[in-house]
Amino acid sequence: MPVVELSYIRLQKLVGKVTKKQISDVLPFLGLDIESEDKDLVRIEYSPNRPDYSTDFGIALGLQGLLGIKTGAIKLNIKKSRRYAISVKSEVSKVRPFVTGIVATNGKIDDETIKQYMTMQEDLHFGIGRKRKKSSIGIHDLDKITFPLVYTTTNRNHKFIPLNSKKELSISEILKNTDVGKNYGSILGNSSHVPLILDANHKTVSFPPIINAAETTVTTKTKNLFVEVTGINKEDAEDMLSVVATILQSAGFTLESVQISGAKNSLPKLEQKKLSVSPSLINQTLGLNLNTSKIILSLKKSRLDASTKGKNIICGIPAYRFDIFGPMDLVEEVALGYGIQNLEPILSPSQTLGQKHPNSISLQSISSIMTGLGYMEALNSSLTSKRILYDNTKRDSSKIISVLDSKSLEHTILRDSLIPGLIDNLAKNIHESYPQQLFEIGTIFNKTSSVTEETHLCAISSHKDVNFSEIKSVLQSVTQSIFGKICETKTITHSTFEKGHVANIIIDGKIIGIIGEISKLTKDNFKLREPIVSFEIKLPD
Amino acid sequence: MSQVFHDIEKKIIASLKDNPKQTPEILEKNTKLSPDQIRRGIEWLKLKDLAIVDESQTSMISLDKNGIESFQKGLPERRLLNLLNDGPRKLSDLQKELGPIFGPAIGLSRKNNWVDTSSDQILLKNFPSELPGEKTLKQIGNNKLPQEKIDKNDLLELLKRPDFIIEHVIKTKEISLTDSAKSIKLSESSGEIDVEAKVPQVFVARTHPLKDTIDEIREIFVTLGFFEIIGNMTQSSFWNFDALFTPQDHPARELQDTFYLSGISAKKIATPEQIRKVSESHKKNWHYHWDINEARKMVLRTHTTCVTIKHLAENKPDEARVFSLGRVFRNEKVSYKHLVEFNQIEGVVVGKDANLRNLMGIQREFYKRIGITKIKFWPTFFPYTEPSLQTMVYNERLKKWVELFGMGIFRPEVTKPLGITKPVLAWGGGIERIAMLKYGLDDVREFYNNNLSWLRSVRKCQ
Repeated sequence: MPVVELSYIRLQKLVGKVTKKQISDVLPFLGLDIESEDKDLVRIEYSPNRPDYSTDFGIALGLQGLLGIKTGAIKLNIKKSRRYAISVKSEVSKVRPFVTGIVATNGKIDDETIKQYMTMQEDLHFGIGRKRKKSSIGIHDLDKITFPLVYTTTNRNHKFIPLNSKKELSISEILKNTDVGKNYGSILGNSSHVPLILDANHKTVSFPPIINAAETTVTTKTKNLFVEVTGINKEDAEDMLSVVATILQSAGFTLESVQISGAKNSLPKLEQKKLSVSPSLINQTLGLNLNTSKIILSLKKSRLDASTKGKNIICGIPAYRFDIFGPMDLVEEVALGYGIQNLEPILSPSQTLGQKHPNSISLQSISSIMTGLGYMEALNSSLTSKRILYDNTKRDSSKIISVLDSKSLEHTILRDSLIPGLIDNLAKNIHESYPQQLFEIGTIFNKTSSVTEETHLCAISSHKDVNFSEIKSVLQSVTQSIFGKICETKTITHSTFEKGHVANIIIDGKIIGIIGEISKLTKDNFKLREPIVSFEIKLPD
Repeated sequence: MSQVFHDIEKKIIASLKDNPKQTPEILEKNTKLSPDQIRRGIEWLKLKDLAIVDESQTSMISLDKNGIESFQKGLPERRLLNLLNDGPRKLSDLQKELGPIFGPAIGLSRKNNWVDTSSDQILLKNFPSELPGEKTLKQIGNNKLPQEKIDKNDLLELLKRPDFIIEHVIKTKEISLTDSAKSIKLSESSGEIDVEAKVPQVFVARTHPLKDTIDEIREIFVTLGFFEIIGNMTQSSFWNFDALFTPQDHPARELQDTFYLSGISAKKIATPEQIRKVSESHKKNWHYHWDINEARKMVLRTHTTCVTIKHLAENKPDEARVFSLGRVFRNEKVSYKHLVEFNQIEGVVVGKDANLRNLMGIQREFYKRIGITKIKFWPTFFPYTEPSLQTMVYNERLKKWVELFGMGIFRPEVTKPLGITKPVLAWGGGIERIAMLKYGLDDVREFYNNNLSWLRSVRKCQ
């Protein structure tokens, strides 16, 4: 979950008459978790589906609603303007077909504001932008740009001075030598031509989705902004733009429209969406009995518009709330506006009968058999390492099942046996007193055309006088208890075990497992000294 | 204070008073106790500083094959001297008669000046009555003797020769009484025993503490009317993600969060209708190209919800309380807070009257039964539930609120394509977190370390 760092003092200014305590009490009920607090600073975790909460401007809107200071939907006031236009060339349709944008004028920008915009941009890129692949954003100093602009493509030799650079670089150099180029260059694939926004003087404004030009960098001296969003999908690009537009308006900017035309592009709508919901769905889902006026009030506290229309309630949803898909999302908005703290839990009697799965019952019995025989239960991960599962035990690794890109070296492959894990457990307990007797009941994985799972029981015993007979006696009791039968053991060779001290376990002519004394070599690999015996069997399905 | 002793101790002390140094085997014979009783008795007396255990090694000597032959026929040189005692003999005759032992026999006899070999006729010069080694050979014979009973120098004669002597090292324990034990008057102690004495520690063999918590939670769900279902840990992406409305380009589906099985994909993932309807819901709501090959990729389940949703899609119950419990996986760095593999409990309630307040009520009841009464609910976000809440519980030890279970009502975008028409309440969370509260642990890794000192000491009943 993304985290944003905010100042209480700034929040108080944005929200209006409110104490620090009121803010910290209400934040969780907006769905915002306070991760840590330090005097004036508070770190807040927010959900990736609410990118408007990536700045204090957006959070302030939510707080105003829940605190009843300002309710209802935010309306975007966009001044129609003919001064700003982008024409789109058809070449872009193959690489990144859509562009949209807006102008924001007469605002104040300080260092904190720039920081907030950067967090917002990062979050939009990561979340709905799908790491810039679906859509990406550029915020520019409007006064450094001469309109009209053109959204076109260029070859990889095109040069300009990118953000954070002092000299001109070619597209190829940017992709090869800069961090952003290396991280996001793959979005453009191998196409010879890449997207580019040029101004009326043929100066580069932006190379989406990679980097802006240095020329248009936003500083604390900037008064007017130009925001562009490019993407592979018009709706997603406009969704992203709506978040930025809403935040900039809340930050005190005046919004002005940008004309966009050419190659299936058009002026962004950024309009409210209408959605209707029935009070009965709301009351049924929440277990409440709210009248329509209470429902409408709650929706407005969640910063939506709402009014009655016949039996239903019709909601106006601002464009930036694209997390709202249908009526059920409105039910949640009612719950939030009503206040989760006001919902009293109720316990209704169960209409159904409880039952354990037969497997759970039998596994619990097997556990008690093993503890009755003096064995301590161990638990190991299903994911283990090649070293433990195959190398140290000299087991056959031809059917290895690995996972991709594990962050933990100790957890890279799925176990196909429980024995190696238990030997490793003994290796970690050499300083504890003997005898040591462990068992594990767990799932193992077999590679077939896909992958199958079996439940196994493994027991291991180690002390100075342990021998094959001891473990075979235990095995006999176990199979007698589980299968109602004494098993047979037939000599085999197996590289984990000592030659001549290892056997297959057979019941009704079927091999169900293996039993034996762990070989000296295996013990050496785990730095173990005491004799060890073990068996592993497949449990009935 | 008069000391009290166990019967075993008394018998051992009495026997050692008569016979101050004994091995456990001799003690066994003298006291008529079993080997195990002797072992325990000695342990107890040692703990009380009443007995001393001397461990020593003894070398036992017996004859090897050449030694046995010499014992039966005489040493090679003796056999040569015996032949010459009847008069001089030709070298070649002797060679024929004595065979392979002739070489060593003649060499030794010449060196000791017992024979004259200056001509072809070998003459006896001296006839010693006892040769070096002969005494020892006779002494050992067919027996095993402790080395200290044998003349060292004489034995050395035999040790030099190949395959003459076998040495076995035998470890022995000898038990004796300490001075304070020697003064014990057994007659003074009546039938009492020392009930205050320290005893050796034995360890309980037990089920794993985490397993106990899992079983406890299972029991609570069953008593609340829930029916248990189980499912595989390896799942197709379809059931783990697609069926739960997680778009294929969602960050949660990336390699860095989810474990994909290398080179393994599912052949049959769902019915054609399920696939069609789920993919349509994705296209409509997330605007992207849905790819069946992404849905076929096998993953280690990231939650048990895939098991639940599959069950609901197959059974479409009007009324149900179902739970599943098992391991789930996240591709994370392992730390005191995070594991790559942990247990999750998940419950669902299906029914026309299922609502959010019911869901909160079941939560409150569940927490009450595991001993947590200070709880509150906060809104949160999950991709497949709406509305969504999380429970916060107060941790008395850490003096702060910690997040526990997540809950919500399955989104219509999840249930509708799968033909589930009634509302589904769902909640779940990590079991390790509850177990950590129960056992007072700060490091979640402890559950999988299988550290015997912890397993042997942690309280079973709590």
